[in-house]
Amino acid sequence: MLIRTFSSECIKLRHSYIWIVLSVLPIFSVLIGCANYVFNRGILQNEWYSLWTQVGLFYGEFFFPVLIGICCAFLCRFEHINQNWNSILTAPVPIRDVFLAKLMMVGLLSAVTQAFFLSLYFIAGKWVGLISPFPSETLGWIFRGWVASLAIGGVQLWLSMRIRSFAVPVGVSICATLIGLGLYVNHLGMFYPYSLLTIGMGVLSQDSLAMMEHVLFYGMSGLFIILFCISGIRRLKKTDIVA
Amino acid sequence: MTEMISTYKLSKQYDGVYRVKDLNLKVYEGDIYGFLGPNGAGKSTALKMLLGLVKPTDGGVNMFGKEFGANRLFILKNTGSLIESPSYYGHLSGLENMRVMQRLLNVPNRNVDEALRIVRLESHKGKKVSQYSLGMKQRLGIAMALMGFPKLLILDEPTNGLDPAGIQEIRELIQSLPQRFGMTVLISSHLLSEIDQIATKVGIINNGELIFQNSMDALRAQSKRTVALRTQNISEAKSILQKYRFTPVHQDDYLIFEDMPDEQIATINQLLVTSGIGVTRIEERRKKLEDIFLELTGKVSSL
Repeated sequence: MLIRTFSSECIKLRHSYIWIVLSVLPIFSVLIGCANYVFNRGILQNEWYSLWTQVGLFYGEFFFPVLIGICCAFLCRFEHINQNWNSILTAPVPIRDVFLAKLMMVGLLSAVTQAFFLSLYFIAGKWVGLISPFPSETLGWIFRGWVASLAIGGVQLWLSMRIRSFAVPVGVSICATLIGLGLYVNHLGMFYPYSLLTIGMGVLSQDSLAMMEHVLFYGMSGLFIILFCISGIRRLKKTDIVA
Repeated sequence: MTEMISTYKLSKQYDGVYRVKDLNLKVYEGDIYGFLGPNGAGKSTALKMLLGLVKPTDGGVNMFGKEFGANRLFILKNTGSLIESPSYYGHLSGLENMRVMQRLLNVPNRNVDEALRIVRLESHKGKKVSQYSLGMKQRLGIAMALMGFPKLLILDEPTNGLDPAGIQEIRELIQSLPQRFGMTVLISSHLLSEIDQIATKVGIINNGELIFQNSMDALRAQSKRTVALRTQNISEAKSILQKYRFTPVHQDDYLIFEDMPDEQIATINQLLVTSGIGVTRIEERRKKLEDIFLELTGKVSSL
């Protein structure tokens, strides 16, 4: 039944402009990052790793979390208008699936974005003339970035379902990302979804995570996902639908 | 007769005010149940409670003899609905909107085609719904409700925004549903004339309370004829007639009688004239259905 609900979500994305946002933001991050890298070659001598710090900074610290916020707000927007909650919540599918299908869609969109970003990073590296081999750690960063994006997606979906406006949840995601930077610097990043992305993607520190940090990272991400799913689903079940 | 919908003491409070209070709705299989009430009487709130969109403050809902909470999926699978204005995704075509619902309902393609054919939208199915007229959106909403060919159809003001031809068309469609597909229909409206033409049963809600629930014929029976008589001396005329076992009611300078045969009226006239009381008027009166509705709801202006 979850698959059915998810496939109905897929139809809703036809003729939409979300793909433009999904491609423009990573391109933008990589372009700015590349420019930074090229102009500061003197200090940035660590080839692929240095390039990653530059492109990753704009992407992971700013554009990607906001992009997730936009996706979530977008996926809820067309339900908020034209009384669509009425029809979804009177369809014979469990309410749980309505929330989970949306989160799956966020997961799919963010996975596509991550894959696109990875290929842009590779192309950019070749283009600025990096000669050392492509670091295999990037796959781990991309994957953990995706896991953290689900945690952020959980929070943002929870917000977007509750707030009818499009701009407010997106605004919240921008503020939350900035706060996340502060928490990361103060070593509290593991306890905040938006900084988990910074940690997972190795944006500010490319040192590989220790075993305990891995456990903590996946544990906390999982915890946030479960927590916000439960709360979001509970709310859909308990509150009255105002169309 | 199988009970399709039965609510018991269904109530909804918003900020301490009852929008729906102690509603005991009974809809039986094969009924076309007209749910009638002025705007703001609580119709939509009540219908939303039937479908679980609004959570009752008190009381409960049974559909198909099952309690809603524990049987939500079973009940929704057998119920098609159109609540408030039609739901649609404006950026998708009519057909794509149907597909979204089709996936959720898990029904074959032929159901989609059939439902679009019934509401006569096949030729517009490729067009974006944002470009549909209100009437077309309404018909799309009905098609989505029909797509699963449910046992029970709940339509909230389905003729809103339709032109007279469209209203006529939807009315005929709804009337045909019980026979063609064995459906039971619950339709809400604020227009008595509309309910009068389609419904077999009627429930009238006012200020959140059900003030009448019976067959349409029972409501019509209330619109019986009366005879009004005016004389030069009403009170004396009344006492004379009472001696002859007539039971008139004195109202606004008239004596009102229940409908009676012509001979009796002639007798009354003769009795009064021979007693020296001049009869000035004898009128036949008929209470219109509208008047009964207005009397029941106590509202004149909003209709």
